[in-house]
Amino acid sequence: MKKYLYIYKATLVENLNYITNILLGFINFFVMMFVFLNLWEYIYSDNTQVINGYTMQQMIWYVLITEVLWFGSRNKILTQEISQDIKTGNIAYNINKPYNYVLYIVSKHLGEITIKLIMFIMVGIIIGVSFVGPIQNFNIMNVPFILLTVIFGVIINSILRIAISIISFWIEDSTPFHWVYDKMILVIGTLFPIEMFPEFIRPIIKCTPIFVVTYGPAKLIIDFSMKSFMNIFIAQILYLVISISIVSILYNKGVKKLNVNGG
Amino acid sequence: MSIIEVKNLNKKFKIKEKEKGIRGSIKSIIKPEYRTVSAVNDISFTVQQGEILAFIGPNGAGKSTTIKMLTGILYPSGGEIMVNGINPSKERKKLAYKIGTVFGQKEQLWTHLTPYDNFKFFGAIYDVPDNEIENRIQELKETFELQEFINTPVRNLSLGQRIRCEIVASLIHKPEILFLDEPTIGLDPVVKENIRKLIKKMNKELGTTIFLTSHDVGDIEKLCKRVIIVNKGKIIMDDTMSNLKYHYLDRKIVEVKLKEKVALNNEEGINIIKEKANGLKIEIDSKKKTIADVIKMLDTDKIIDMNISNIPLEDIITSIYKGAKVEVF
Repeated sequence: MKKYLYIYKATLVENLNYITNILLGFINFFVMMFVFLNLWEYIYSDNTQVINGYTMQQMIWYVLITEVLWFGSRNKILTQEISQDIKTGNIAYNINKPYNYVLYIVSKHLGEITIKLIMFIMVGIIIGVSFVGPIQNFNIMNVPFILLTVIFGVIINSILRIAISIISFWIEDSTPFHWVYDKMILVIGTLFPIEMFPEFIRPIIKCTPIFVVTYGPAKLIIDFSMKSFMNIFIAQILYLVISISIVSILYNKGVKKLNVNGG
Repeated sequence: MSIIEVKNLNKKFKIKEKEKGIRGSIKSIIKPEYRTVSAVNDISFTVQQGEILAFIGPNGAGKSTTIKMLTGILYPSGGEIMVNGINPSKERKKLAYKIGTVFGQKEQLWTHLTPYDNFKFFGAIYDVPDNEIENRIQELKETFELQEFINTPVRNLSLGQRIRCEIVASLIHKPEILFLDEPTIGLDPVVKENIRKLIKKMNKELGTTIFLTSHDVGDIEKLCKRVIIVNKGKIIMDDTMSNLKYHYLDRKIVEVKLKEKVALNNEEGINIIKEKANGLKIEIDSKKKTIADVIKMLDTDKIIDMNISNIPLEDIITSIYKGAKVEVF
C-alpha cells in the first residue's frame, strides 16, 4: 500500500501547481448554483413549505452538495487519459511497472482531486451558509460517518469510470459511454433528490450508481440517521466489491488483447 | 549463463481492414474484416549475463514487439520466453522488479518533481527500503554525474540531463537487465558520447545486462559486442560485432584526387562509385583485386591525394536490412 500512498502524495504535490486552473473551474459551478438557487426559490415562493419531504433549505443544500461532489471529483484521467493510453499504446509504459494499474490510476486520481474537492467543499459551505443558512439539525458528531460515505462515493465513481474507459480495449472510443454515465449522474443524480421522481421509478434509481455516488452522501448531510447511513454504507460496500470485480475481469481480459505497434 | 532465453517466439496481430469512403466505414461496422500480420515470426536467441546486445532492425521489423514481449507487456502468440528464470506473460509483476526499461522517446519521470524526488518515488514503487534508497541515489548520482541538477525540476532539464535521469530512475531497484530503446535519440554527439560512456561504465561496474535497440550506428558500434538483426519478424543475423565487420573488411573504399582525368573501367573487383572532375571514388574487393593493382592502373605519378577506408558500418547494416549485397552510398 505504501507505493500507492507515494503515488497519491506525488500527484498531490504536482497538483499544487494548478491552483489557478481549479479557481477557473469555479465559474461553471457559480453559474449552475445561481440558476438552481433562483429556480428553487421560485418553486417554493408560494406557501409550500415542504416538497416530497424536502424544505427549500434542504433542497438547495442537496443540490449544492451533489454539485460539489460532481465538480470537485471530475478528472480527465478517468474519462480521457486511460482510453487515450489504450488507443495509443502508451499504457505499455505503465503496465511494465510493479504496481496494479487500476490502483495506480485510482491513487493518481485521488491525488489530483483532493485539493480541488476540498476547495469546492469550502466554497460550497460559504455559498450555502450565506444564501440559505446552516443546515438544520446538523450534528458535528456525524461528520466521520458522512466523510466515509463521501470518500467511498468518490472511489466508486472513479472505479466505474475506469471500467467504462477500459472498454477501449474492445471498441475504438469509450466517450459515448462516459456521456451516458455523465448525463445519468448529472440529471438524475445531482439536480433532484430521488424522492422527486415518480414512486415506481425510485427503486430503479436506488439500484443505480446515483444512490451510492451522489444521493447517499448528500442525503446523510442534510438529514442524517444511523439507519440511512447503514443502508447507504452497505450499498457502497456492495457496489465497491462488484465494481472492483468487473474492472479486474475487464482489465485482465483487455490487457491480453493489447496491440502496441512501433516505438 | 543465459539470462534471456527465447525459443520459437511468435506474435500475430489482427488488423482491421477498411475500404475507402463512407460505404467502407459502414461496411466495416456491419461486417468487419481483419488481416493477420505476423510481427514476430519464429525467432530464437539467448543473451548471456553481463552482455551488451544490440537488437536492431528497420522500422516495423518486430524489435519493439519483441522487447514488449520480453518485458511482459505483450502476450506472445506462440513460443517460449524466460527472462531471469521468469516467464514474462505469467509473472509480469515479479519480472518488473528484475528489469529496468528506458524508452528514449517516452518520459517516465514526473516532470514537476525533481530528479531526487523522482528517484525516491521509483524507489517506493519498487519497494526499495528507505535507507537503501538514499545510498542508491548517492551511488548513482556519482556514477551518472547528476550533482548539478539533482534538485532541479525535470521539466527544466536539458534532454541529455533528462535521459541520464531516466536511466538512473530505471536502475534504482538494481535490475539485472536493462532494456534501452533508442536511449540517445535526439541528443547531440557530445551528450551521446557521454551517455554511451556511462552505459559502459554501468555495465562494467554493476554487471547489468543490456539489451539495446537503436538506429544510431554509433551506439551499436561503441557499446555492443554482439548484434542481432531482425527484419520482417525474423532474425536475419546473429553474430559478434567483430565478425560483422570482419566479413566486410575485404571491401575497401578508395578515394583518389588526380592531376588529370584517368580512364578506369568497371572490371571484376573494381566498382566505380563516383567520378567527378579529377576525383574518383572506387570500391575494391581486395580478394579479387589488390589495392596495389588499382594504384598501378591509376598511374602513381598522377595521384595528388588518396584515402583508403573500410565500408562504413552504417552501409553494411543498411544493406543487411535490404537483404542485398553491401552497397556504398
